[in-house]
Formats: sequence, structure tokens, C-alpha cells
Amino acid sequence: MSPFAWGVVFVVVAPLFGGLLAGADRIVSARMQGRVGPPLLQPFYDVGKLFQKEARQVNPVVEPLLLGHLGFMAAAGGMAIGGTDLIFTAFVFALAALCLVLAAGSVNSPYSFAGAERELVVLLASEPFFILMLAAICKVTGESTFAGVLASPVLVAPQLPGVMLAFLFVATIKLRKSPFDISTSHHPHQELVNGLTSDMSGRLLAYVELAHWYESALLCAFVLLFFNWSVPLGLLAFVIAYGLEVLVDNSTSRAKWQLVLRSTWAVTLLLTGGNVLALFLVGR
Amino acid sequence: MSELVVFLVAFPLVVSGVLLLVTKGAVRNTIVVVACGVVAAASIVTVFAFGNGDAVFFGLPGGLTPGHAILVMEAAIAIFVVVVSVQNGRIMAPIMALAQLGIALYLDLGGHLPEPDPQRLFWFDRLTTVMVLVIGIVGPLICIHALGYMRDYQRSNPQIGGRRTSFFFLLFLFLAAMFGLVVSNDLSMLLVFWEVTTLCSFLLIGYTRTKETVGYAFNALNMNLLGGVGFSVAILLLAGQPGGLDLARLTAGPAGAALLPAIALLCLAGITKSAQMPFSSWLLGAMYAPSPTSALLHSSTMVKAGVFLLLRLSPAMAGSTVGTLVAFVGLLTFLFVSLVAVTEQNTKKVLAYSTIGSLGLVTGCAGIGTPELVWVGVMIVIFHAVAKALLFLVVGTLENRLYTKDMENFDTLLSRMPRVSVLALAGIAGMFIAPFGIVVAKWTAIRAFLEVPGFAGASFLVIMAFGSSLTIFYWGKLLIKVLSMRNIEPYERSVEDRVTRYEWFAEIVLAVGVIGVTACLGLISDHVVGPYATAAFSAAPRVFLHLDPAMVVVMLVAVLFLPALALWSARRSGYDEADFYTSGRTANAGHLMGAALGGTQTVTLRNYYLDGVVNGALVFRTGTLVCGAVLLAAGLVALAVAR
Repeated sequence: MSPFAWGVVFVVVAPLFGGLLAGADRIVSARMQGRVGPPLLQPFYDVGKLFQKEARQVNPVVEPLLLGHLGFMAAAGGMAIGGTDLIFTAFVFALAALCLVLAAGSVNSPYSFAGAERELVVLLASEPFFILMLAAICKVTGESTFAGVLASPVLVAPQLPGVMLAFLFVATIKLRKSPFDISTSHHPHQELVNGLTSDMSGRLLAYVELAHWYESALLCAFVLLFFNWSVPLGLLAFVIAYGLEVLVDNSTSRAKWQLVLRSTWAVTLLLTGGNVLALFLVGR
Repeated sequence: MSELVVFLVAFPLVVSGVLLLVTKGAVRNTIVVVACGVVAAASIVTVFAFGNGDAVFFGLPGGLTPGHAILVMEAAIAIFVVVVSVQNGRIMAPIMALAQLGIALYLDLGGHLPEPDPQRLFWFDRLTTVMVLVIGIVGPLICIHALGYMRDYQRSNPQIGGRRTSFFFLLFLFLAAMFGLVVSNDLSMLLVFWEVTTLCSFLLIGYTRTKETVGYAFNALNMNLLGGVGFSVAILLLAGQPGGLDLARLTAGPAGAALLPAIALLCLAGITKSAQMPFSSWLLGAMYAPSPTSALLHSSTMVKAGVFLLLRLSPAMAGSTVGTLVAFVGLLTFLFVSLVAVTEQNTKKVLAYSTIGSLGLVTGCAGIGTPELVWVGVMIVIFHAVAKALLFLVVGTLENRLYTKDMENFDTLLSRMPRVSVLALAGIAGMFIAPFGIVVAKWTAIRAFLEVPGFAGASFLVIMAFGSSLTIFYWGKLLIKVLSMRNIEPYERSVEDRVTRYEWFAEIVLAVGVIGVTACLGLISDHVVGPYATAAFSAAPRVFLHLDPAMVVVMLVAVLFLPALALWSARRSGYDEADFYTSGRTANAGHLMGAALGGTQTVTLRNYYLDGVVNGALVFRTGTLVCGAVLLAAGLVALAVAR
């Protein structure tokens, strides 16, 4: 199958993967909290219901921006798998995230606005890592595309231990897990109400949820890059990493944005930067 | 060719002289509009006459040589600087101006100046076509915009009085000097144009003649004269070398050890002019000048002269330690100013930091000197010129209508000034959202950095990763403000109706230009920038050929997305959508919400400026020190190698 076809497959399958992941996440979290939890397919029921509900529109730009968020997120994943230069997809990924920020920011509500600003902070915190991670993977393998890295005889993971550790740290942001879920909240009684999504309802909220599923699937694809010699091993690594994220999510409370920014930058600079420097100095 | 180039320089010069004599507003408007049309047409005709071949060299019509005219010009510049400085009690500027004059006198009267080849005074190649089009199209649009802007500006700054004549005189003089600068091959001739741009920016920055702006003007003058002194010393060093003052011969390939000190000094000149750290403060001071000045300094003149010289020098410093250190100055500048920009609330200053950062990228690319990176550098020059000119003009328009430059006061702009918002969004999308220069360039640069070996390569990657994320943050904040909406009263809409037709014209043409240049990305790359990089390095750049169709589609969608969205929403005024959520307390579009103990309270939403995490002033000082040290190291290395 050509890389382009894989890209199309990603766009179709990623929401199923992301939705199932969200369902499993809710069950595991519930068990950690001593509850039974919802059925595995509950996220799909929820999103289906959101599409049936009336969308409360605060202004005319929110919906197009959220569609942009969803579209660019799907495009980032599809392009990454579909053979576009990996480093370039990092920029599309960031653009997708920015669309969500703008949608929330355009609303003018205090809660949405605070969520938007905090999302911008976490974007600032996490973006350097993703650029460096993809650059490091390209450096190690000498490849520039997803298929190229998977086909490369060079084993990526052994050369990028620092980057992988940092990935665990930074993925917490992208998966919106505590302590780094500063821009959003699942519990409306907290200081942020619902953050970013406070003023989104009905299908608007469904777009955000779908985009998040794409985002999870893309993160999984990134993990596959590290274990480029074996896809099953990569999937296993992702499941373990995700399990750790759920555990951390359930055992920590939300951090302040200052801490998120400082710690993520420090981790990126020390672990990822150090790893990249080592690559260049030992240098091929 | 020769006649056309002489016309390009002479025509704006004549127009500027005429404008100095014209005091009647209507006459001035007509002259400026017509002259702008002629300049734009002449630059296009010149580029077409050049065609798309390799570099050509030629002299003045009739085989004339500048002879002592250069010395006379240098003397005039020095005398002017001395007089102005004495009037204002300044000491540094005249010292540097006289030092330059001394060198010129020594070279010319002492007979040390190598006789220039009368057939190689001018150098026209693909980089020159890029610069001529940027100067000749963006520059005149700014002049036209200024006709509308300055009328309103004078209304709010009555102390300027009749000096508006000198403003337009300076704009055209600036354009003439820039044309001269980019076509000169003889370095001593180039220096004269170089110094004229320094003087023009000095006078434009100090235009309002308040104590504050005069201080900034002298700061700009001092820093640029320092670069000029470096340039003069470089000429002194080169005068005794076999290649002489022929820029094309100097930059034909990697420079020998004997030439490195001169190359380093020319880089110093380029770095001062393009406001890289440690010389960034002059461009920030320039933000207090009228907006057309900012637009001109930032997009088509002045700072572009600096990076133009650096790009020219790129093949000469490629692979040398001096080149790598120059690259560090540029990329560290990009990182530091991007970090300062996230703490800045004044929109014009944010734009200024963004300019310095973009030029830092160009400097970095030029310093490393591979075909790929020079491709990136020229692309940034093109895209930055169009998009940044548009943004400064839009901010100028906003400033004259809303009486503020504060980013926070631009909130709900999409509701209040929908048509201006569309233009602002086109500019922002052009600056930093795909596909413009900046994203394609960043991506190409990262790919190219992967091949730079050792510590330098790793550092460049880390700098790039952090720097580019910082740009997302400050542009994102501006976008949030511009894109936010609320219900407004009909009278608020009338603000937009007072925008003059000159401003609309310039801004709309530039916005269309942003989209147009985007759509032509491949053409520009294949026919102009790519061949230029190939010719300069005798090797074709590889990376950009990877532009695949999916990328191009996504980039076009990305750049059109926000302006199109704004255009569409602007037609849906007076929407009656739901109020936003405020925890169940009454809220309305006037930003009121129920207070905790009854009554109502106004909601104010302020962007994050990373207070407590990033100290802008401290970062700026640190950057200045670090980059100053790196620059000094570059000079020392050049000296050591030459020994």
C-alpha cells in the first residue's frame, strides 16, 4: 500500500482508535477510583448525542474555527502517516491546536478566555519538544517520512532514551491529563469551569472531542516511530505509556501554568536537548 | 540595462527634490501617486529587461566613473552629521563620521583606492531582481499609504507643522538610496548609498523632534555609523588586496584567510543595519516614529539592506568559524527577541521584535551558508517584506482611528472594524501561519540544520525549536484579540468609514500580494530563488524540492483560512447568538457580570504576558551581552586566522 493510502486509512480509522482509547481510559480511571465505569463504547454514544443536540452559538466564528481545528488535526495525522515530511507536520499540528485556542478566545467569556490563554501556554510549553523529537528521529535514521523511518534499519529507541523520557512528560499535556490539564477541566465546579470548552455545546463540543481522538492517535503514531523495528512493540509501549498517564492523572492535582511551562521547558532542554547534542557530537 | 538602473536611482532622487519644494497638499498628493506608479513600473521594466539569466555587470552610461564624486558625497554626509550633532550636543556620531571621512580621504587623495573597473560598477542578478521588486513595489505602496496616514497624524501632532514636505522628501530619497545600494558592485559606491540610508532613517526616526524621538534617532545614528566605520575599515583592508573593491569577486567563493577580517567587518555593518543584537535597540526606538516610517524601515528598506549584504557575503564566509559565529548571532537574536516579544503589549513593538527575529533567521542562514539556507534567507526576505509592510500599515490605520497601539485594546476588532480585521488577518497569516516564508523557511532551515555537524548543529536546532514556538505564542495572543467578537452599537462601526482611500489602496494591494506571493511560492522558488542559490554556491539547494502537493494544499488553506473567515463573519453583523457563560450570573455583550455581593462588574480579559516567568528587560540585556560577546569572538577569530 502506498503511503498516501495509509494516510487516508489514518483519517478514517484514527477516530475509532481514539474513541476506544477514551473508553478504555474511562474504565481504567473508574477502577482506580473504585467505580465500575461506563461501557467501552460510551465515548461514541456521547459524541453521537452531542451531534443531535442544539449547538449554542456565541458568535459566528467559533464553529468554523473548530472545524479548522478538527480539519488541521486530521490533516496533521494524515500527512504524517501519508508520507509528508515529518518535521513539517509538527507545524500543522501546532496550527490545529492554535485554531482551538482562537475559537475559545473569540468568545470573550472569562472562563473560555482563561482556558484559551492556558492552552496557548501549554502549546508554548510542548511545541519545542515535538519539533526536536521529530528532528532527532530524522537525524538518527536519515529519513524524513513516516514510512521511511519504519523501513530504516537503524533502531531509533536505543539512540533516543532522553527524548523518550521527555515524551512521557510532554504527552501528559497533549492528552490533557493532570497535572498538566490546565486549560480544561472535566469537572464544572472547579476554578476554570470547563475552560476552553465552557461555551461550546452540541456539535461544537463533538468537533473538539473528535479532534482529540485524532490527537491521541497521532501521539500513538509518534510512539511507533521510536520502535521502528516492530509495530506491535510500539503499540505495547504506547499502551504502557498511556497507562502511566492515567495513573498520574488520577494521583495528582492540577498544576499552575508557571510550573507547567518551566518544568516542560526544563525537561525539553535537558533531556531532549542533551540527547540531540549527544547525537550531533557522537555524530554520524 | 545601464540606463534603466540609473533611472531607478535618479528618478526617486529627482522626485524627492521636487517634493521638498511643494507645500500644497493636493499637488503633493498627485506628485506622490504618479511618482509611485512610475517607480513601480520602472522596477518591473528593469527586472523584465534583465530577464532571467545569470549575473550581468555593467557601468555608467558612456563609460563614466564616479571618480571623486564618492569622496564629495562622503564629505557631505560627514559634514551633515557633524552639524546636526553639534546642534544637539552629541559627541559620538561626529567622531565616527569624521573617522569614516578620514579613511575616505586617505584612500582617495593618497591614491590607495584601486581604480574601479568602469564595466563592473553595477551587479545585477536574481537577488538584485528580488530586492528591486521589493523596494520598487512595497516601497511606493507605503508612500501612498503615508498620504492618508500623515494627514491624520499631523492633526494629532500639530507641532510638526510644515515639515510634512520633508517627510515625503525623505521617503523618496530612501528609495533612491536603496535602489543604488542593491545594484552597486563597487564597495565604495555601495558605502555611499549605505550611509544615505543611515541618514534617512536618522531623520525619519527623529521626525517629530520631541526630546524622546531625537534620543532614539541619535541611538540609531550611532549604531549605524558604527557599522559604517566597520564598512570603511573593511574597504581600507580590501583596497590593498588583489580583488579590490569588487563585491562579486569578493563573494565568488570561500574567502581566503587574508580576507576574513574585512568580511567580518562587513558582517558587522550588516548586523548593525539589520538590528541584530547587540544593536537591536535602535529599531525598537524607531517604533516611536510615524507608522509609515516603521513600515518602510522594516519591509523594503534599511534592515533589508543589512540582510542583503549578509546574503551577498554568505558564500565568502561559508564553512568558516566566522560564518558560524555570525550565524550564532542571528539565531540567538531570533531566540532572545522572540522571548522578549511574548512579554510585550505594544503591538508595534511586538512587530518590531518579530522583524528582528525574522532577520535573525536570515542572518543565521547567511552565516552558515549552504544553498538550502540561502534559499531560506531570500524567501524570508520576500515574504517578510510584503506581510510586515501590510501589518505596520494596518497598525498605523488602527492607531489613527482607535488612538492606541496596545494589543489589549484591539479586542473585538472583528466586530468593530471588520474590513480592517480581514487585512490584519491576511498579514498575520502571511507572517506566521503556513505557507509563508516563515513556516516553510523554518521547516527547511530545521532540515538543513540536521546536516550542520557538531555543537553548532545541535544548538541551532534547539534554538529553532524554542524560538519558533515563542512566535506561535505572541502571534496567537494578537489573533485572539483581533478575532474576538461582541455585539456592538452602530456608531462604533463608523470608525472604519474614516479610513482614507490611500490607506485602503495600499493595504488591499499588499493583502492581495500576500496571497499572491503564497500562490506563486513554487514559481518564485523554481525561477528566481532556487537558481540564485545554485549560482551563488555552484550547487543546487535540495531540501525545498520536497514540497509535496498535500503540503501546498494545506498551506494555501491555512493562509486563506483566517482572512476568509473574517470576511464571511463580517457580513453577518448584528447576529443574535447566545450570551457567553458566566457561572449562571447575568452577563451581556457589554461585558458585565454579576458580582459576588450583588451589583454588576465589568469583565476585562487580559492576555498572558508570562509575568513572573519571563522578565523581558532582563532577557533583552542578556541577549545583548551574549550576542555582543559572540560578535567580538567572530572578530577575534577573523584576526587570528588572518595572522
